[in-house]
Amino acid sequence: MMPPLIWLHEDCLRASHNLFDHAPEAKAVFIWDDAYMNAMHYGLKRRVFIYESLCQLPVEIYAGDTATSLAQLAQDGRDIITGKTANPALKAIMAIMRENAKLSAIADVPFVQMDSPPDLRRFFKYWNKAKKHAFSYDGRP
Amino acid sequence: MEAQKKTFPDRAALIAHVKSLSPGHDGEPVSDMVGGRIAAEAALAQIDPIAYGASRNYLDGAVTRLSPYIRHGILSLNEVRNHALQMGDDKAVEKFIQELGWRDFWQRIYAQNPDWLWADIEDYKTGFVASDYADELPDDIANGETDSAAMNHFIAELKTTGYLHNHARMYLAAYIVHWRRIKWQAGAAFFLAHLLDGDPASNNFSFQWVASTFANKPYFFNLDNLQKLHAGPVRLSQQ
Repeated sequence: MMPPLIWLHEDCLRASHNLFDHAPEAKAVFIWDDAYMNAMHYGLKRRVFIYESLCQLPVEIYAGDTATSLAQLAQDGRDIITGKTANPALKAIMAIMRENAKLSAIADVPFVQMDSPPDLRRFFKYWNKAKKHAFSYDGRP
Repeated sequence: MEAQKKTFPDRAALIAHVKSLSPGHDGEPVSDMVGGRIAAEAALAQIDPIAYGASRNYLDGAVTRLSPYIRHGILSLNEVRNHALQMGDDKAVEKFIQELGWRDFWQRIYAQNPDWLWADIEDYKTGFVASDYADELPDDIANGETDSAAMNHFIAELKTTGYLHNHARMYLAAYIVHWRRIKWQAGAAFFLAHLLDGDPASNNFSFQWVASTFANKPYFFNLDNLQKLHAGPVRLSQQ
């Protein structure tokens, strides 16, 4: 069975991220997507910061359109593992990839673990619930 | 496909390579803040969450500058919180951990309501409606050439370093939205273009909080607050 391809995106630039545990031997890639970064309003400062971060990670960097490049890198049918994100632009790319590949988005370790969803209408409604766990190691209940 | 280079003789060579991959961004400044896990761990080792609680609201207070590393997942909120818990009792590090909670709060809203990112969540509570606000950021703000010396100082810092103290962000955001009556979206895009830690959720929802489209009232500031919180020679106005 072919090892999966790890797709590292800008929201998960850490070698200790959970996603690496799912495929410790897999090749990891980052797609340097100029159009994506322009759409995110990223200037040179941010781009240098991201590139410097990538240089310290076990990842290969390829330049190009993200979906097209990932499709080419996974064209032999291998699965794709990536980091879970709230970013709709990255989620849209994940949806495209799922049309032809099995893609799993792995969540980072949570800040707090709550037994029911918090009220998000205002910060202190959330915080009054979250603070019961926020002062515990690993945010455990 | 050919993999890009990852080793460079120095930072200047890395910057030149990034420029070659970033058409149209050649003349822009680069921050002194260095990316990567090594710099992130060094910054984490330097934090003082107890002093942070006491002085974070002052522009020269004990802020941590961890935000760019947290923004891109180079540091997790979990490990930063765990580190802070080792440095003081819960009460002593409460303000610091609460600020981490803000990041978690914005990310949860972002995941639930991605359509809110660039849309007014609620109406403005300023006596004006959205159409009363200009769509575009004027050149004098983009260039840091307004008639306010304090705002020009913040804009220059933002553009040069990619970082602004949280209160400076709030002042500048309020100046853009309330003093100049410009849509918060224009200010949010300006911040995202320059902040190293600019996160769509934290940045845009905070702008909506300042604007009052995600708060019960708008955020304003006054000269007294600005002078009290800034130890340097920043004036609100050049006049």
